[in-house]
Amino acid sequence: MRIPALALKRRQWEPFAFATPALVLIAIVIVFPLIYSFYLSLRDFDLSVGPDSAFVGARNYGEALLRDERFIASVWNTIVLIVPALVCELLLGLGIALLLNRVTRGRPIITALLAIPAMVSPVMAGMAWRMMFGVKYGAINNLGRQFGLLDVYFDWFSSPFMSIVSVVLVEVWQNTPFMMLVLLAGLQSIPQELYESVRVDGASPWQSFWHLTLPLLKFTMMVGIMIRMIDLTKLFGLIFVLTFGGPGGATETVAFNTYLVGFKDFRMSYAAALSYVIVGGVLILTLVFQLVQRWREARAA
Amino acid sequence: MSTLVGTSQAVAVRRVNRHRARRWLADVLTYLGLAATLVFFLGPFFWIVTTSLKGNNDFFAFPPVWIPSDPSLAHYAALFTRASGLRYFLNSLTISSMSMVAALLVSLPTAYAIARWRFGGTIFGTFLLVLRMLPAIALIIPVYLMYKQLGLTNSYFGLVMLYTVVYIPFAVWLLVGFLRDFPVEIEEAAMIDGCSRVGALVRVVVPIIAPGMAVVALFAFIATWNEFLFAVVLTGIETKTMMVLVTTYTSGGTDMFYGEASASVVLGVLPAFAVAFILQRYLVKGLALGGTKG
Repeated sequence: MRIPALALKRRQWEPFAFATPALVLIAIVIVFPLIYSFYLSLRDFDLSVGPDSAFVGARNYGEALLRDERFIASVWNTIVLIVPALVCELLLGLGIALLLNRVTRGRPIITALLAIPAMVSPVMAGMAWRMMFGVKYGAINNLGRQFGLLDVYFDWFSSPFMSIVSVVLVEVWQNTPFMMLVLLAGLQSIPQELYESVRVDGASPWQSFWHLTLPLLKFTMMVGIMIRMIDLTKLFGLIFVLTFGGPGGATETVAFNTYLVGFKDFRMSYAAALSYVIVGGVLILTLVFQLVQRWREARAA
Repeated sequence: MSTLVGTSQAVAVRRVNRHRARRWLADVLTYLGLAATLVFFLGPFFWIVTTSLKGNNDFFAFPPVWIPSDPSLAHYAALFTRASGLRYFLNSLTISSMSMVAALLVSLPTAYAIARWRFGGTIFGTFLLVLRMLPAIALIIPVYLMYKQLGLTNSYFGLVMLYTVVYIPFAVWLLVGFLRDFPVEIEEAAMIDGCSRVGALVRVVVPIIAPGMAVVALFAFIATWNEFLFAVVLTGIETKTMMVLVTTYTSGGTDMFYGEASASVVLGVLPAFAVAFILQRYLVKGLALGGTKG
């Protein structure tokens, strides 16, 4: 059965022929635009001024990193949203995964139901919650008034702090199911015999959780956090419908800020530069995360 | 002697009983916890669906009416006629279906080249992973300018092409997995019997990995359906998708057109409900690779 190898030698063009459509499309729709975008980022192209632009070198990057207070604030805002969202998603996801791991009857159906928030568009999730947060007719204020917890029409988006809390709440609602699914898969890959053997050795349920489950789940948790973290740096749709960056720019994320620069102010070159700063930031974040993980593994070993 | 045995038995029975009671309590607490979880995660959907069916009397009532006393589809009718919601729903459907088919058609041969000949090696694999992680915001600025030059904004074609290509990395990634599971021997047998390479792929491989392809297709559909940034920048009045339509309801502050807005959210999340049930087994893999985010 050496035919494939023979065929490979005789017809080396075949794999290329198979991959060509995808490669050509990727080149046209992704690679070329990215190169063009980099070229743009070195100029001062501004659609609101006119079609002409001049080469300005790294000025846009300098402005973004050193002088643009709004962009720097948006970096901070993104971090302020990411950190509590990640912590809540991890803890809540772990809790639900542990609960689901205990039950056998009805697990598939419960899992599928819980996965739904993670499958809907952030825009739709944001819209549903925007209505839930509604001042006069929203479900939350209605519920609060019905049970006498609220006696006023509470505006969830009036203060920066409450807006951040609201955005984090919706984000946690939407993506905890993802974390739960990942952790549940991790939990189920732990062999049952391990639990039995530590129980025979007299470990309490708490001890077996702390010394067996958690260490074995660490890798899965890291993968889950990493994926969520990268996704959260792209937070856009949720912000667009929930707060539109407000109040006073308190929930303006980097992606949203770049969108405004590009498609409200029409400063195309500057938006291109900002998008490259974001790509660079995400890349550095990913690398640092992996390095820290390796370093900790090496230290543990 | 017999009394001694009796008491030790009684102790054992009591211990077993206590163990059983504790276990029963833990089970009850587990199911209670899961019930609360379900209420939190599905409650908003329940509320949106009931709101979309409520008439004005129920909507303005206090204390609030949670289950509509006189459900009607009036808001859906208004959404379809007044807000041309039907058109935007069909736009979403068309664009998602076309992108789904195109992504599959382009990705299958590429995945095949990787699975059978290790095309591109690890470099190509890493390249695809990097593309997967690329923020959409980095792409939309140059693509918008290009499309404006080429007259591709406000067109199905432009959006479908963009969605297709953005989805290639994910589709290839999943398809390679399915193709690797496929025994090469069957394919070789077909080729010895005189089938061409393409013939073997189409007549032998595709029918067998069809379920896998369906998974990829459904994820592609939902990702395209859910995509917002490209859609909001590149669509115009005729080509708007449901995601863009729904954001038009944010203009009235938080107290807006609840009826139509909730009806459009219901239509917008419908595919997610369907796919979540169909794809139960593949949810982790698909979500982990970013399958539902365009």
